[in-house]
Amino acid sequence: MKTEVYCSPQQHSQLSQHSTGRIMLWVIAACLPGIAASTWFFGWGLLLNILVVMVFAVLLEAVMLKLADKPVKTHLADNSALVTGLILGIAIPPGSPWWLLFTGICFAIVVAKHLYGGLGQNPFNPAMCGYLLLLLSFPLNMTTWHLPTDTLFADQQFSPLSWTSLQYSLQLCFPALAGDGSQISEYIDGFAMATPLIEYKLAGNSTVLAALENNSPLFARASETGWEIINFSFLLGGLFLLFKKIIGWQIPVSIIVTITIMSLLFYEQGSTAVYGTTYLHLFGSATMIGAFFIATDPVSAATTPGGRVVYGIFIGIAIYGIRVWGSYLDSIAIAVLFGNFCAPLLDHFCRPRIYGHSTRPSQ
Amino acid sequence: MFPFVNTAYFQIPAITLLSASILWLIYITTRYLRNESRQQQRCLVDQINALLPQTQCGHCGHPGCLSYARAISTGAAINQCPPGGQHTIQALSDLLNETAEPLNPSHGNHSEPLIARIRELECIGCTKCIQACPVDAILGGTKLMHSVIESECNGCDLCLEPCPVDCIDMVPGFTGKQWQWALPNRSDAVESEIGEQV
Amino acid sequence: MSLLSLFHRSTNRRPSRNPGRHKIHKIVGGIKPAANKARSLRSRIMSTPIPEMLVLPLLQHKGTPATPVVKPGDHVLKGQKIAAADPRGVPVHAPTSGKIIKTGQCTLPDAAGTLVSCLMLASDGKDEAIETGLSGDFRNMSKVDLVERIRDAGIAGMGGAGFPTHLKIQTSTASDIATLIINAAECEPYITADEALIREHARDVVKGAEILQYVTGAQQCIIAIEDSKIAALAELKLAIADSAIEIAIVPAKYPAGSEKQLVQAVTGREVPFGEFPASIGVLLHNTGTAFAVYKAICESEPSISRITTVTGSTLKTPKNFHVLFGTPVTFLLDLCGIDRVLLSRIVVGGSLMGNCLHDMDAPIIKTTNCLIAGSLEEFPEPLTERACIRCGFCADACPVNLLPQQLYAHCRCQSYQQAKDFGLIDCIECGACAYVCPSHIPLVQYYRASKSVVFQQQTDRKNSEKWQSRFQFYQYRQKRESEQRIQARAEQPSHPQQIAQAVFSREKARQEISEAVARVKARRANLIATSTLSSPSLSSPSTEPDEKP
Repeated sequence: MKTEVYCSPQQHSQLSQHSTGRIMLWVIAACLPGIAASTWFFGWGLLLNILVVMVFAVLLEAVMLKLADKPVKTHLADNSALVTGLILGIAIPPGSPWWLLFTGICFAIVVAKHLYGGLGQNPFNPAMCGYLLLLLSFPLNMTTWHLPTDTLFADQQFSPLSWTSLQYSLQLCFPALAGDGSQISEYIDGFAMATPLIEYKLAGNSTVLAALENNSPLFARASETGWEIINFSFLLGGLFLLFKKIIGWQIPVSIIVTITIMSLLFYEQGSTAVYGTTYLHLFGSATMIGAFFIATDPVSAATTPGGRVVYGIFIGIAIYGIRVWGSYLDSIAIAVLFGNFCAPLLDHFCRPRIYGHSTRPSQ
Repeated sequence: MFPFVNTAYFQIPAITLLSASILWLIYITTRYLRNESRQQQRCLVDQINALLPQTQCGHCGHPGCLSYARAISTGAAINQCPPGGQHTIQALSDLLNETAEPLNPSHGNHSEPLIARIRELECIGCTKCIQACPVDAILGGTKLMHSVIESECNGCDLCLEPCPVDCIDMVPGFTGKQWQWALPNRSDAVESEIGEQV
Repeated sequence: MSLLSLFHRSTNRRPSRNPGRHKIHKIVGGIKPAANKARSLRSRIMSTPIPEMLVLPLLQHKGTPATPVVKPGDHVLKGQKIAAADPRGVPVHAPTSGKIIKTGQCTLPDAAGTLVSCLMLASDGKDEAIETGLSGDFRNMSKVDLVERIRDAGIAGMGGAGFPTHLKIQTSTASDIATLIINAAECEPYITADEALIREHARDVVKGAEILQYVTGAQQCIIAIEDSKIAALAELKLAIADSAIEIAIVPAKYPAGSEKQLVQAVTGREVPFGEFPASIGVLLHNTGTAFAVYKAICESEPSISRITTVTGSTLKTPKNFHVLFGTPVTFLLDLCGIDRVLLSRIVVGGSLMGNCLHDMDAPIIKTTNCLIAGSLEEFPEPLTERACIRCGFCADACPVNLLPQQLYAHCRCQSYQQAKDFGLIDCIECGACAYVCPSHIPLVQYYRASKSVVFQQQTDRKNSEKWQSRFQFYQYRQKRESEQRIQARAEQPSHPQQIAQAVFSREKARQEISEAVARVKARRANLIATSTLSSPSLSSPSTEPDEKP
């Protein structure tokens, strides 16, 4: 019989959401529908991005853990580097060169996470810190989305899933593979926008509904439903995480509700101003990814239930505000970082009332 | 700009809401600042004195804890108090923003709480210890037996010296300290100043 | 802050889904761990055979220890009082007949393994009971008498806290008790003692509840039980058929059976911080206590036994036992067929609030409700503590609505003022937060360690204030005495006259002494002259000093 004194509780929950490594794996699993949809519509770029960034993330994390004299294997088992890599990989435009990916993930893992003390100690979302560094330092690369098509939703010259497409994605990521580089420019067209959010002129009608009306299949690449299908897939993944109780409902719901309210408030049909429909704001952009996967990063978000609701409201207002009245295209990163700034204040003020106390304890 | 925002239906509630939020923020801030200033109003010497253990033993070289507190407020070293131990030095260093030096060993070492006990058979009733005790914890009179009221004794051992027959011992008192849980050992934690237990 | 109250977890939700039963309110937080109760309920409660040696600690509950009224070598009968207590404690009775071997020391089955003095009783196997008085209907007895009989029977709270029952009744009669709740909601995994008791002795428990209701003067008596205890619920419904007691069926969630949470679930009100439930007119007693009260009043049997669950995966036949106090733990484990090779940990209590036992010879005492003899598979080694990721699962699980993640951060940094602010003292140490933590942080250990430091600091501060005030009085007294001395000297005559007086008195004294010496000499001369015996020792007056150094 053992002689050590163990403190109660003597047992621990065996549910998957009560183990950090498994939580992270479920988050990665929940992203898979969205990644699959993106690969179907736009080719291998996103997948390649994610894989390369993940590999770099794990290597850098291992190096930093070694430098900090922590046991590398046990800490890598919590899979947090993989999730940071995943989020950053989704955020950076497909077709970015490998050194861009490396700079981003380096800043995210080394500076934004480990220099603050490692897992659980970072005040800012590491993936978004990396993204913002890249956005500010390499604005041209970050606003050019290379798609293996002529124009965005026109007749395809080759299938996004073909071997050719893979070749081109690889050549964009590792330019050394290109040889003389001539093959790339023949098929790739730069497209200086992240998502069709700024295509406000096309906004207003759901392309999915349009496709259904025209009786064209939803998953046909020609029906231009790509972005929305991707967003629906990420929404599905997010709802799955909610169902599994891995993320709380407060942050995603408050972000989505806030954006809905703001877009309803400020919507103006038919004008040339930038304000799109609610549908556009929710499904024509990166809102779903931001609400379910980026803003819910538990370490940098507010931690009290009430605080999370206000955190979501702040982020929602910031997302809408920066998109509509600011100069950045997609504002999730900046909005989330803004929320991270506010999180300690929200934690301080939005504390739940303790059982048996009539008011919040004095400060 | 946009028609709805131009209407009074929007502007009046929006402005009310905005001004209410700003006023609320100002209220919160002033309440917080007022709490902070109230704490600073308490005299520094009193704050230092509240951290000292009040044994009045004089080991620090000053006659009593209040006198030492006054000395600290004018710049004396904070590591002179053996009964207070390292945790008192840490508390003083947090209060005064000074470095927490280790306890000065020339004044004695920090030990578990002791109390005085008189061997009554040998006591001659000279009342010298009664006069020496700073907290009046010894009961007795001239030519009558002296006894230490153990619940009131603070272990300052000022009574040991005056006793002509050396009949006083310092024994471990009942501190009420039973076995208790210790903070968990974080095996992979990087040692930091905050994490060490004093 | 009223805007923010929108985000506070609401404590009173819609009424119970059980029409005709007592309304149940929702409690915040809580977890649903695997119950592990079925194995120990497969068989009926078994009475243990009488062990050879019984070890009876003189302090089996919170309070002051009892003083023995028997000596080693005395023969005692079953139910005889062997240790008396002061009014704030309860006496100890002999669980069976036999001889008192000696007084000694034993370890209590708690986390600290506290050493207490005890009486060792060697049983003679005859189990002769002491003659008891006749017991009548409790309604004919006065309440004061009943409380005295409860105290005399040695009844202490059997739910785990062990507070003397008569004290609880006495302190609560000061305030009006509206509701008496009998706590049968055994929410912790592994423990089935109360459930087995209700399955087999529901009527006795109900009778005990009625006695308690009469004694405390409660307007309403409710037995609270979990909805997963179906067989026990059926028995209970039959038993309360002809009484005014109600049943409240609480949802099976841990820790619904904790005192504060049960009060909230049954009455919808919260016990204010720092006060007892009696302050809001609620009183709780455990099922085992109600049963013991019934036995004491209606069958005149003092508190000499209890129902204890003995379970765990290393036991062949886990079950509930009707155990005599003082039975060694190892005796019970052997009765269940323990596999000592597989044994990894013995836990006293349930798996979430229980503590490890190291001394297998420790006796069963009044508060031992469960023993779990677990294997390594059942109680694996705790995983390494990782960094807190602020996921908030602990806050969702906390039944007291605390923020365990923030509490943890402050306890780790030893900033105790902040920890108190976040509710360190409110924590009931239920373990729900540590149970769900994905980083496997031993949260309850942090809080327990910090609470010890905080309480020690409070004691130190009280002592400091006491010594400071005594020192101030000492200084005032010195000053007063020196002033009095100065004043007395000022009232005396001036210096030359003083000397004259002193000289005068010295002269006078010498004169008196010489006169006295002359008187003594004359008397002695008379004595020598009149008596025939010579007494050389009286030749000179003795000048030896009388005083000793």
